[in-house]
Amino acid sequence: MSDHNLTHSHDDHEHHEDNFITKYIFSMDHKMIARQFLITGIIMGTIGMLMSLIFRLQLAYPNMTFPFLEGILGHWGKDGKLDPNFYLALITIHGTIMVFYVLTAGLSGTFSNLLIPLQVGARDMASPFMNMLSYWFFFTSSVVLLWSLFVEGGPASAGWTVYPPLSALPKAIPGSGTGMTLWLVAMVLFIASSLLGGINYIATILNMRTKGMKMSRMPLTIWAFLTTAILGLLSFPVLLGGSLLLIFDRSFGTSFYLSEIVAEFAGGIERTGGSPILFQHLFWFLGHPEVYIILLPALGITSEVIATNSRKPIFGYRAMIGSILAIGILSFIVWGHHMFITGMNPFLGSVFMLGTLIIAVPSAVKTFNYLATLWQGNLKLTPAMMFAIGLVSLFISGGLTGIYLGNAALDINLHDTYFVVAHFHLVMGSAAIFGMMSGIYHWYPRMFGRMLNETAGHIHFWLTLISAYCVFFPMHFMGLAGVPRRYYANTAYDQFNVFVDMNQFITIAAMLGGIAQLIFLANFFYSIFKGRRAPQNPWNSNTLEWTAPVEHLHGNWPGEIPHVYRWAYDYSKPGSEVDFIPQNVPDAGQVDPLEEAVGLPEVSVKSAVSAEASH
Amino acid sequence: MKIFKLLPKTALVMALTFSLISGLFAQSAEEGKTLFQANCTSCHAINDKVVGPALKDVHKRREEAWLVKWIKNSQKLIASGDAVAVQLYKENNESPMTAFENLSDNQIKSIIAYVKAESEAPAATAAVAATTPGNVPPSEDGNDLSSSINWLLLLIGVLLLGVIRYVFIILGRISDIQGKPAINWNSVNAVLMLVFVVVGLIAGTWEFIVHGKLTYFNEGPASAHGVEYDNMFMITLIITGIVFIITQILLFWYGFKYKSDGKRKALYYADNHKLELWWTAVPAVVLTVLVIRGLITWSHMTAKTEPNTRNVEIFAYQFGWNARHAGADNKLGKHDFRQVGKVNALGVDTADVNAYDDIIVNELHLEVNEPVEFAFRAKDVIHSAYFPHFRAQMNVVPGLPTRFHFTPTVTTAEMRTKKNDSNFDYILLCNKICGGAHYRMKMKVVVDTKEDYQKWLKSQPVLVAGKSANAPVAMN
Repeated sequence: MSDHNLTHSHDDHEHHEDNFITKYIFSMDHKMIARQFLITGIIMGTIGMLMSLIFRLQLAYPNMTFPFLEGILGHWGKDGKLDPNFYLALITIHGTIMVFYVLTAGLSGTFSNLLIPLQVGARDMASPFMNMLSYWFFFTSSVVLLWSLFVEGGPASAGWTVYPPLSALPKAIPGSGTGMTLWLVAMVLFIASSLLGGINYIATILNMRTKGMKMSRMPLTIWAFLTTAILGLLSFPVLLGGSLLLIFDRSFGTSFYLSEIVAEFAGGIERTGGSPILFQHLFWFLGHPEVYIILLPALGITSEVIATNSRKPIFGYRAMIGSILAIGILSFIVWGHHMFITGMNPFLGSVFMLGTLIIAVPSAVKTFNYLATLWQGNLKLTPAMMFAIGLVSLFISGGLTGIYLGNAALDINLHDTYFVVAHFHLVMGSAAIFGMMSGIYHWYPRMFGRMLNETAGHIHFWLTLISAYCVFFPMHFMGLAGVPRRYYANTAYDQFNVFVDMNQFITIAAMLGGIAQLIFLANFFYSIFKGRRAPQNPWNSNTLEWTAPVEHLHGNWPGEIPHVYRWAYDYSKPGSEVDFIPQNVPDAGQVDPLEEAVGLPEVSVKSAVSAEASH
Repeated sequence: MKIFKLLPKTALVMALTFSLISGLFAQSAEEGKTLFQANCTSCHAINDKVVGPALKDVHKRREEAWLVKWIKNSQKLIASGDAVAVQLYKENNESPMTAFENLSDNQIKSIIAYVKAESEAPAATAAVAATTPGNVPPSEDGNDLSSSINWLLLLIGVLLLGVIRYVFIILGRISDIQGKPAINWNSVNAVLMLVFVVVGLIAGTWEFIVHGKLTYFNEGPASAHGVEYDNMFMITLIITGIVFIITQILLFWYGFKYKSDGKRKALYYADNHKLELWWTAVPAVVLTVLVIRGLITWSHMTAKTEPNTRNVEIFAYQFGWNARHAGADNKLGKHDFRQVGKVNALGVDTADVNAYDDIIVNELHLEVNEPVEFAFRAKDVIHSAYFPHFRAQMNVVPGLPTRFHFTPTVTTAEMRTKKNDSNFDYILLCNKICGGAHYRMKMKVVVDTKEDYQKWLKSQPVLVAGKSANAPVAMN
């Protein structure tokens, strides 16, 4: 309490004397919240990855027993054999954790929080309090989800898409009891977190940019975060509605999603009049934009990292913004491609197919622009840069198979097979993880004031890239032989026996990937305490976050917030003595930040940068 | 009621006739295996509880005579007040086991013989081993990799971490001595990228050659629209393949070629509207071609069928399938979910005269080159009827009837020759997560010649035999 009295005398922008709780736990500082999101995301990601290794073990060796499973899973792993119901629980929670907790909150939450105020030149988020709530809703949600692993019947097991009636009828599958209820509670909390964050991000970007930071000068990261936040704000409430109706169906005997289900199965009540497909519409109305909620921040990070480390302006800045916006808008009219075979009217299917395939155009533009940025560059192949290049490679590989799946005529035989598993793990799973890793390696000095070990980073990258391709590329062929996803074992089908070797290979490759992440984890946590001290601008980057001091200050800049005189991509500008001109450096004779900077700075960049730092 | 008692597992009628002959011979586990897989696997497994209990060592727990009675008609046994039967019924939440009155005593005995053989197989002794600690539980393969593999993996992991740690220590010392990083990662990464794309493309090509043969494209489609499907797929494959190879090569080649050497400055090149126009327009045009072609294929697949197309209903439940053929009138009797029950498993409307000649089976028979219109219906949760060889799939949604149609063009026998696999069978499998035994919810699909199909059809009992369509029957 006495601390509070002390801080009252300070100016708002000065740094506070925080106690442990306000600094590390209920912090309202966006940089601390970013770190909280990241570390929670990493912990959740590790859990999700370990789950995938357990079910990969089952898929590779369906006839073997692994006594350690009984040790860690109890009766779900009785006699060393994974229970088929718990297998479904594992894939469900793996999907939920990866999609929502790692790639939405862990990726977007971390980097939106860290970069939005720092890159647009704001002291903090528009509402630091809401920002804190956003994290704590997310944290509570994570706890509830993990708690569901320990309830009777196990956690939700209806797949991460939780389609009713399987998820709606508590008797349909063991996990549809308490576990499913907790899943829904976790999801409601998560959506609250996501909305609180999203409103904040949008408000900060639109209202709190520093002088001179016109929309047309914002780094592409910010454009990506802005579009992401808008997508989340428009689509997450629909899932909230869908989840609430599901809760009603489960607990209060309504039948929004249930129709013509026999009494004994439905718990003694006649369930008629609803439609199970309605839930799928509500789910995918979020679910598809969700793919871009995951992907766009990763692409934004990649744009920034590739431009900085190529020492070149990002090619086609305006086209990049245009394609981000186009992807954002189109993502709302394509959700039906997840439902081509639900009995949807074929004409409606055609419309969704058209919209889906059009998305390939802005995606292609982005890919070609990345290639053009690399062309004739002066590439600094840092770990961040390698992960960004890896993202582009995975984005191409996974994106192209989207052209098959978006085509209703082809989807009919590919739907829900391993082809789909391969597709989305490459384009959304691996690519977004690569974007996240790229961001971590790039902004780690900004977050923790220390450098990550570079050698460990490169080893991590190569093992992860090789593992990602070895795991997911062969899966396409399994899908094309008709092997369905979410199968506990393929042993009931003689014709799938040919994939025994492939399944073992995939599992071994997945374990290699797991080991690679151990290297990352060790590097990450070791370097927080023992890493080399970071210089202020380790990558010679142009964006504003590198003008703030290494030591975190509440309010970000000790003096006045720097003004912005140019776009973020003046790398290797002809005539300039160094290969970067930060955004806060004016042209010769440029007084008004709102004027376009077309020439070169009057003073040398180095002195301008150091002058800024000494504020 | 009596009629419906005869219904379940009508496929067994054929087995019944054969059993008159085969029953003369000793009960064989081999025959039991076939029968087990045809009749029992939708609810039972040897080692796992599925819908019904695990059957391992059931021959030790119960008398053979009792088992025969139970399997033939468990409800009758329970009604007779048999203590064991009543107890068992209660233990399994009073969900009745399907009656198998069509099975002969000898057939049931052979099933029991098979279960006995499976229970005693060394593979299934995991439970025994677990009770005696220290024993290495052998796997079902008979080799004992199962436990050592854990330790091996753990050991490898620990060793690897140890090695990596030493590498870091050594690298750190070298860079301390030399005053610069021990590895120039810029050059190493550049070379690795080149190696990666070359090895990756070779490995990818190898996969296409070797694993491509394992896909269903290898033997071609078994349905009429499948030809168009495969063409559409190949066109997409060629286009995306070209884009894939070009962009991946460019990406990693640029990564190699333009690595920083400390001397060169990057080219300040921020925009080229002409170039961007090209690479917006070209993908747009290519995709337009794919969209148009796709829409044509899609409209062909989903076009309305001829009015007299043969009707078959596919009924899905946790965890199995039934098919209901429309019979001579080609009209499926109505259904009513309220009538779904222990006897009338499919909930066929007993008041609808069109239902009398319907035929319910659990093995789908189709006639080659004869279009079939499927109506899909689910009892409990969403399932998906996936016929990979026919390039067809449709969700089966409770309360929301869905339809799909196709024309099989290759008989089972022809496909067996084509694949050079005498055991090959077409399958219908469940492709929407539906519960613990989802992974083995399947139905055998047989494509017959016209003669065989008619022969098979005649051998199947209709729902209400000998009743004309206009004479309602008291069902209860």
